[in-house]
Amino acid sequence: MAEQQLEITLVETLDHLLDRGVVIAGEATISIGNVDLLYLGLNIVLANMDAMKRTGRK
Amino acid sequence: MKSIVIGIHLKQTDVKPIADAMKVGDLFASVFAVDDDRPLGDRDLLIEVSTIRARLLDVATFIAVRYGLAVRDEDELAQKVAGMTKGWREVLVAHRDEVEMTLKAAAASPPPRPNRLDFQSGGAYLRALHEATNAVDIDPNFRRGVERMLIPITTRHRWIRDTSSVELAMLVRRRDLHAVREAGESLRRDHPTMPFLLSGPWPLEVFADDHQQ
Repeated sequence: MAEQQLEITLVETLDHLLDRGVVIAGEATISIGNVDLLYLGLNIVLANMDAMKRTGRK
Repeated sequence: MKSIVIGIHLKQTDVKPIADAMKVGDLFASVFAVDDDRPLGDRDLLIEVSTIRARLLDVATFIAVRYGLAVRDEDELAQKVAGMTKGWREVLVAHRDEVEMTLKAAAASPPPRPNRLDFQSGGAYLRALHEATNAVDIDPNFRRGVERMLIPITTRHRWIRDTSSVELAMLVRRRDLHAVREAGESLRRDHPTMPFLLSGPWPLEVFADDHQQ
């Protein structure tokens, strides 16, 4: 139970880190182990790469 | 070396010695130096930056910068934030004593998310996505409980929806954090079957653009 709570807290913390706050000009492809997980660009978009592909964005 | 920008702060002493500080206008950016070849998506790096963010918030409220921006030096940062510091200063002064909290709850009966392939144009898809998002709401009893117990403690709040959940972003005085957590416990007792997550404190994230309203 405590471990589950820790996981939730970690996920929530990372969600805030990656998806909140002011966006400043700049662009980064965030990847883990050669797999692009997140694409941050155009000052407005931070989305899961898979979701972006599914919705037809390149 | 590159420096990951974590947040924007009113005073240098709000940053040091927890993180390195870069002067930006009459404000200070907290930064974390990493080797050029270390990817920003490194799991340990993400956790390290998250930890520093939390420690910085213990000292003083700051404006969170979304993860992903790395700069070489103060000049590069100054170029990227040109024109923003005046508004940020106003926000930081106005909300020095406040932090954000969030409550996330699953939607009562979320409508299906529109499938892009069902639409011929991007505009039609975006309209359908907007309508589906607006249709999302939480259980009305739970919502009334939130409005009665939580919202009066906040200084400002904003409901945010996506296609499967509803989130309440709250601006809360630091001295009221305990009252917010107690209200969360009361909500949990009153609505035992309602899954929700009350989290925080967070730096200024949703309300960082407050001066523009």
